Amino acid sequence: MTGFAELLFSGLMSGLIIGLAGLAVTLVFGIARFSNAATGDTMTLGAYGALVGSAFTGSVILGSLIGLAAGALASVVSYLLVFRPLQGRSPISSLLASIGLAFFIRAIIGLVFGHDQNVFQLDIVRPIKFAGIRIQPNDLKFAAVAISTLAVVFIILHLTPIGRRMRAVADNPLLAKVSGISPRPVMLALWSIAGAVSAIAGIILGMKTVVSPESGWEMLLPAFAAAVLGGIGHPIGAIVGGLLIGVAQELATPFVGFTYKIAVSFIVLLLVLLIRPKGLFGRSEGVR
Amino acid sequence: MLKIENMTGGYGEVDILKGIDLTLEAGEILTVAGTNGAGKSTLAKAVVGLLPRVGGRVLLSGEDITKVPAERRARTGIGYVPQTANVFSSLTIVENLEVVEGVKDRKARMAEMFDLFPALAGRRRSRAGSLSGGERQQLAFARALMTKPPVIVLDEPTAALSPIMADESFSRIKALAGTGTAVLLIEQRARQALEISHRGAIMDGGKVALEGEARTLLADERAAELYLGVGH
Repeated sequence: MTGFAELLFSGLMSGLIIGLAGLAVTLVFGIARFSNAATGDTMTLGAYGALVGSAFTGSVILGSLIGLAAGALASVVSYLLVFRPLQGRSPISSLLASIGLAFFIRAIIGLVFGHDQNVFQLDIVRPIKFAGIRIQPNDLKFAAVAISTLAVVFIILHLTPIGRRMRAVADNPLLAKVSGISPRPVMLALWSIAGAVSAIAGIILGMKTVVSPESGWEMLLPAFAAAVLGGIGHPIGAIVGGLLIGVAQELATPFVGFTYKIAVSFIVLLLVLLIRPKGLFGRSEGVR
Repeated sequence: MLKIENMTGGYGEVDILKGIDLTLEAGEILTVAGTNGAGKSTLAKAVVGLLPRVGGRVLLSGEDITKVPAERRARTGIGYVPQTANVFSSLTIVENLEVVEGVKDRKARMAEMFDLFPALAGRRRSRAGSLSGGERQQLAFARALMTKPPVIVLDEPTAALSPIMADESFSRIKALAGTGTAVLLIEQRARQALEISHRGAIMDGGKVALEGEARTLLADERAAELYLGVGH
């Protein structure tokens, strides 16, 4: 029973990371209307940014903020140089461009940092026991950061003028235009938020495991599965989807092994597409 | 106020609009009627800046706005109520009004809109998607009027309404013109629309087939037979 509870807790932790990445995917899909395959590599970029920042400043917190800024900046630059020129064309063009961008980011990271695994220098803390479950104190910090990130995103979306305009564009782009909403600030806000959220997901993932040029790419399938499971374009759905996939992956680990747990994401993705393509929250598009 | 000169255009390579000339003065209602596929909604989209390909000129208060993007036209003087999908369904009523850009005193203007459409005032926090057809129509009007536009384009505003709601809608449009707003009214209920209009234009095959005083068009036997529906 304790083993099950520990797997469940571990699944929720993984789920938060997947959920954050899924949130970035779903935000971009809801507003820019394509699946951004560079989300995973933006995560990786954020993690490397945090590693470099930590090394320079001697502070993991300051380093993480640098990583976050790097993710947001890379995302905005990607929009300005790659996705904005493709606006108005088929979503397939943007999807293919995002795959190319993902390879490009990964290649640059590999070239600059090499392909060795890197780790964050975090203090080693003894696990605490709660109801018989061993919990790493760092996991609680990561969970707090992930939940705070989600809260900030939801505050932006629902309580700020730019957030409301983002939701309006997601709801009905043409009506947004004839309501005087300029696409440029909305898109810049979108890509900044998506990049920052991806970077935070990548930094937490890197701190929990290791950082390598492939680490974010490997999270892309679970992130897409979370977005699809929750209902693509639905931010809360992406988080719930991420948590469910994280838990499913961890609970499946004793049966399928660590290496194959990612197959759970693929199975979930396939089942949702076959049985309920609109996902759990029942809407097919738009950031609600 | 609004002048359309030799307007051509469409969604792809084929012209749906084939040389439209129309003018609209402040406080005037101009009904554009015609059969399905005549190009009425395409004309509305061209005026507000949503048609991908447009030739000719659109002048607003003498200024050429043909190349001005839709969002700037909306901020500077053209309100638009599309026929369908005319509210942000997932946003609340208040949010639908808050997102509109180009509003000078937003708080005061929202209060005016809730005075004008009291049915919306009691449901400010309701999602627009949960509103009835009539309430949606009111919200669509309120959203389009937030910027106090000198020109408003209404694309079949009574299409999904019951006869009673349609009558209310026509009364509202007449009152709106009474405040000095120029109204370009695209309507299938052509007779009713012409009855509240100053002038009318009847489109056929992407061109204006007949144009004139609303009273004259209502009395025109040819117009009645071909476009307005005799006896309706």
